Amino acid sequence: MSRTLQSGYHRPRMLRHVGRFSPVRIQSMHYQSGRHIRLLLQPGRSLYDALVRPLQAIGVTSASTTILGGHFDHLEYCVAPPDPSGKAVIAYSSPIDAGASFMVFGNATLGKDMEGRPLVHCHASVRVEDGSVKGGHIVPQASIIGATPISVLVTALEGFELRQAFDDETNIPLLKPFKES
Amino acid sequence: MSTTETTRVVITESGRMGRVAYARIAPNEDLVQGVEKMCLAEGFRNAFVRGGLGSLVDASLGTRDGGYQQISGPAVEVVSIAGEVRSGADGVPVASLAGIVADTDGNVYGGPFLAGWNPVCMTFEVTLEEWIPDGEEPA
Repeated sequence: MSRTLQSGYHRPRMLRHVGRFSPVRIQSMHYQSGRHIRLLLQPGRSLYDALVRPLQAIGVTSASTTILGGHFDHLEYCVAPPDPSGKAVIAYSSPIDAGASFMVFGNATLGKDMEGRPLVHCHASVRVEDGSVKGGHIVPQASIIGATPISVLVTALEGFELRQAFDDETNIPLLKPFKES
Repeated sequence: MSTTETTRVVITESGRMGRVAYARIAPNEDLVQGVEKMCLAEGFRNAFVRGGLGSLVDASLGTRDGGYQQISGPAVEVVSIAGEVRSGADGVPVASLAGIVADTDGNVYGGPFLAGWNPVCMTFEVTLEEWIPDGEEPA
């Protein structure tokens, strides 16, 4: 839903989250330089495997990536409506089957989940099987690269790592930067 | 200003990439101002966005007639983003960010993100790469 506003006084909406407000609003870390890699996502593999395995093989476990346009044999995505349970402000929907799709542009973050396994967080815009353009949170394990490899620009993060940690304020696990363990 | 005065416009700027920073911006912080504050925190004068994804409470995107389009959430997901940060002589970083957002039905909208009008819903992850023009040393 959208509306176009031309005049009058409006203000952006804030939300009250379930947990205690954290005084730290921007958690950032930096390193003296970035390491760049061109990665080709291989046909027939899941987006998760095609991103994680080749990077793992060259020692990259935390990265920010730009996925350039490319075909998927199958793609699933979620949207983020309000959480009916009230445990958090929003919750991901059940996966939506987009069928054979063309990813117009995507960004994916690579980090580690709470158990130390590779985690891919990907948002993208997609031309779905019925021809409409949609966007959302891509399900990387369920989305399968099509017949042509897809180029990805990887900015590997060094000097610190991205780990999923439980966030008290939003009451969900989130990726955050930490000093390397 | 006299008619003989001209404004110097730099069309090309040579330089190099410097440091790389990653930030998690917390709920209710503005996306655009959050990126600007991240540059203040990290000491970046100029930077390019290398990646960004997350959710907004509602999104406000500029329209061609000077108005804006508000996409109602929560949450509106940012699914594509590009942009840069530039600092003027006063050292204040100004972020120019544009992108595509998706509403709770997955429908997409695009345009420039208005500063102050794009509050983060759950989290926003952003990676910036510092841009160092030739002749300037990093802060």
